[in-house]
Amino acid sequence: MPARGTPTVVRAGVPVAVALLLAVLVALPLLRLVQVLWQESDGDLAGILGSPGLSTAVRHTVVLAVAVTVTAVPIGITLALVLRRPDLPGRAFWRVAVLLPVVVPDFVLGYSWTQAYARAGFTDTLLGLHWDGLLGPVGVWLVLVVNAAPLAYLVVAVGLAARSEPDLERAARASGAGSFTVLFTITLRLLLPAVAAASVLVFVLTLGTFAIPQVLGAPAGFGTVTTRIYADLSIGGDPASFLEAVTLALLLVLVAVVCVAPGDALLGPHLRSARPADAQGTQTVPGRQAVRRGQAVGLGGYLLLTMVVPLAALALSSVTRALGVPPTPGNWTLDHFRQVLTVRTVEALGRSVGLAVAAASLLVLLGGLVAVGERRRAGRATATLITLTLVLPGSTLAVALLITYGRWLSGTLTLILLAYLAKLWAFAHRPIAGALDRLPPDELRAARASGAGLLTAVRTVALRPLAPALLGAWLICFVTALHEVTMSSLLYGPGSETLAVVVLNSQELGRIGPTAALSVVLTLLVAAPAFVLWMVVGRLRVAHDGPHAEVARVG
Amino acid sequence: MTTESAGEPASGSLGRRPSTSLALTAVLVLALSACGGNSSGSESDGGQSQALTLYTCVNDTTVQPVIAAFEKAESGSRVELFRAPTGELNARVAADARSGGLRADVVWGCDPLTMQAFVDQGLVGGWTPPGADAVPDEFRTDDYVGAHVLYMVAVHRTDAPAPRVWSDLAGPGYAALAVPDPSVAASALGTLGYFAQDPGYGVDYYRSLKANGAVQVSTPDDVTTGVAQGIYDAGITTASSAYAAKDDGSPVEVVWPEPGAIAIYGPIALATHSADSEVAKAFISFVVSKEGQTVLGGAGSYPTLPGVDGPTVPAGAPVVSPDWAAIGADKAAVLAEYQQVFGG
Repeated sequence: MPARGTPTVVRAGVPVAVALLLAVLVALPLLRLVQVLWQESDGDLAGILGSPGLSTAVRHTVVLAVAVTVTAVPIGITLALVLRRPDLPGRAFWRVAVLLPVVVPDFVLGYSWTQAYARAGFTDTLLGLHWDGLLGPVGVWLVLVVNAAPLAYLVVAVGLAARSEPDLERAARASGAGSFTVLFTITLRLLLPAVAAASVLVFVLTLGTFAIPQVLGAPAGFGTVTTRIYADLSIGGDPASFLEAVTLALLLVLVAVVCVAPGDALLGPHLRSARPADAQGTQTVPGRQAVRRGQAVGLGGYLLLTMVVPLAALALSSVTRALGVPPTPGNWTLDHFRQVLTVRTVEALGRSVGLAVAAASLLVLLGGLVAVGERRRAGRATATLITLTLVLPGSTLAVALLITYGRWLSGTLTLILLAYLAKLWAFAHRPIAGALDRLPPDELRAARASGAGLLTAVRTVALRPLAPALLGAWLICFVTALHEVTMSSLLYGPGSETLAVVVLNSQELGRIGPTAALSVVLTLLVAAPAFVLWMVVGRLRVAHDGPHAEVARVG
Repeated sequence: MTTESAGEPASGSLGRRPSTSLALTAVLVLALSACGGNSSGSESDGGQSQALTLYTCVNDTTVQPVIAAFEKAESGSRVELFRAPTGELNARVAADARSGGLRADVVWGCDPLTMQAFVDQGLVGGWTPPGADAVPDEFRTDDYVGAHVLYMVAVHRTDAPAPRVWSDLAGPGYAALAVPDPSVAASALGTLGYFAQDPGYGVDYYRSLKANGAVQVSTPDDVTTGVAQGIYDAGITTASSAYAAKDDGSPVEVVWPEPGAIAIYGPIALATHSADSEVAKAFISFVVSKEGQTVLGGAGSYPTLPGVDGPTVPAGAPVVSPDWAAIGADKAAVLAEYQQVFGG
C-alpha cells in the first residue's frame, strides 16, 4: 500500500505493466495448457485422475513439501540469526559457505550424497558406515532440506538486514527480557514477512522438484507427481501420456493455489508493519563469546555433514578417472575438465552468463514491480499468481511456453529467457516483498520536495535500504538460471545452446565425472562474483547504517 | 495492508511522467528482442539452402560425427540439430504438434515404441530409403528403419560373480541388484516386454530379482553409475554405458547373458510434412548406408547394418529382440503387473 509519497507514475503504470507481464508469462501459457487438456481429453479427466498410484504420488508430493518446509525454514532462520552476529568467529566465511549448495545443480547434489553416504561411499570406505535410508523418502527429504535451507537462509537474512530493530531488542533486554523473549516477541515477529516468503518459496519449490526424488526416491519406489510427469513424457510419446503429464502439472498448480492463495490473501497484509522512516541497520547486541564459539562449532558440524562431505565427494569425482576407483592421487586426471571446457562450451558459457544476467536483472525489476503493485488491494493476487509458474516442473512450463509462443519464438534465446522469467519470477519477488516496507516513504517525498528528480530520489533514498533484498534476489536468480537444465534443453535451437545443454548433450546425465567437473566450474564461476557481491552488500549496508552501527558497537 | 494504508492520503502530487512503467516495459521488450537477435530459428527453409532440421535423442558423441560426415558427403547441405533426452524430446514434439506442426524434417529416436506413436499421430513415416532392405527385418517397419541399436546386458562388479544366463541374477552371490524403470526408460520397457513374453521368465523373473535384493532405479545409466560406485553388485543396463564405465577404469565387467542381450533399436523416420525434402531423404539414406553406419560404429554406437564394425561385442554373444508390436498393445497391462512387484 502505497505509501504516501509513492510517485503517481509508479501508481498508474505499475498495474498496467504487471498485468501485461502476468498475461504473457503466466496466464497465457497456463491457459494454453488448460485448453489443450480440454480439447483433447474429451472430458475424460476422471480416467487420468483415477489412474492407479496417482493419489499416492499426490500424497507423497504434499507430505514431502510440508516436511521439507517445516524443517528447512527453521534451519534457514537459525542460520540467518547465527550469521547475523558480527562477533561470530569466521562470519564472512560461513556466510558464503552456507550458500554453496545453491550453486550445485539438483541432480548432482543427489549423486554427491550417494557418493558420500551410501553403500561403498566415502563414510563406508573410511569408517565402514553407510546409510541405506538415503535411497528412499527420508533421504529425499533430507537432501531437499539441505538444498532448500540456503534459500530460506537467504530470504530470511535479507529480511533481517531490512527489518530488524536492534534498538528495540536492546530496549527489551535493558528492561529485563530474556534473550528468548526478545527472539520470539521482537526479532521473529518482525521477521514474519520474510519467514512467510521463505516458506512459500520452499513449499512451492518442493512441490515442483524433480531431480532429487528421481535419483534418491526411485530405488525405494517413492514416486511423486513430478516423477510421474517425467515418466509420462519419457515413455511412449503418445497423446494419452502427454495429456496425463499436462493434467498432473495442472494438478500441481491447483495444489499450489489451494495452499498458497489463502496465505497470501489473508496472512500477507497482517504480517507487514508500518516502518519508521529512519530504519536501522543490523548490528545487534553482542553476546557472550562462549555462546558464539558454541554457535560456530554447531555451524561447522552442520556444514561438515551436509555440505563439506558431499561436495568433497563431488569435487573428488570430478578429478577421479572413473567411478568406483579410490579417489587417490594415482587415479586423478583432468580429463573430465578437458571434456567440459571446449570451444563450444566456452561459447555456450558466454551465452549462459548473458542469459542469466539478463534474466536476473529483469527478474529483480519484475519482482519489484509486483512487490510494489501487490500493496494495494487490486494487486494482492499477483503474488499468488506468479508462484503458479514456479510450481510447474521445468518440462511442463517449457511445453506451455512452446505451445503458446513456439510459432514465433521456437529455438530462440528469447523463449528460453521467457521461460526463466516465468519460472523464477516468484524467486525474485518474495525476498523483495519481504523487505519492501523498509522503503521510507517520507524520505522519498522529502527528496522529491527538495527538488531531486524521480530517478535520483529512487536511487539515493529507495534503493539503499532495499539493496540487500535486490542483490539477494538477483543472486539467487542468476545462479539458478546459470545451471538450469530442463527448460533450456527442451527449448534451445541452433545458436541458443546454453552451457548445461552443451555439456549434458555430449555426456548423458549418467556420466558423473564430466557433470561433476561442470559443477566445480560453475561453483567457481559463481562463487567468485557472489563473494564480491556479498562484500558490496556489506559495504552498502554499513554505509547506510553507519551511525547506528557505531551506536551499536558503543552500546 | 490495512495496517499501513489507514488514513493515508490517496496520492501524490508527483504524477507527471506516466512514462516510467512504459519505459520499464520497453526495456523488457528491448532485452527480449536483443536476445532473439542472434538466433537463427530452427525451421528449415524448404530445400533451397539444403538445410534440414534433425530431432534426436542420440547423444552428441554419436550424432555429431554422423552429421559432419553427411555434410561432407553432400556438399551444400546443412543439418540443424535439436538433441535432448527422450522425455524432453517427446515434450518438444508434443508441443510442436500443438503449435503449428512438427519443426523437424527427420526424427531419429531411441526406441520403436515412441516412433510408432509418432507414426500413429501422422507426424512421421510413410517412407524408408531404398537401402533399408539391408537392415534386418526386426529393426524396421514401412515407416521407419533402425539406425542404431542399444543392447541391454548385465553389468557386475569385478568382485561379484558373472551371470551366465539372465536367471543367474536371481541366484546366489548378489547382495544388491539394480534394474532400470520401465515406466521411464523405453529400453527398460523393451527388456520387460521381452522377459514377459518369454515363457521361461515372465514377470515372475522380476519378482525373483526383487527377492534377491533388486531395487528399481530410474534409467540404465543410473544402473551403471550405481554398480560402478559399488552401491549394487550387478544390474541390467545398456552395453554402451557399461563398456564406457569399464573403459574409464571402473571395477565392472560386462556380460551378454543367455538367451541373449536384448536389442532395442533406434529408428529414424522422415517427417510427413517433409515428404518432398530431398535433403532429408538423403540424410536418412546416408545414416543407414554402409558409409553412415561405419561412421556411427566408429563413434561408439552399435550399427544396425550387418557386417559393419561397431563397439565391443563378445564373440558369439547371443542377441534377442522383443516383439515391439505386442509390447505396444500390452504396455499398460505388462506395466501394471510389473508395478505390483516394484511399485511406482
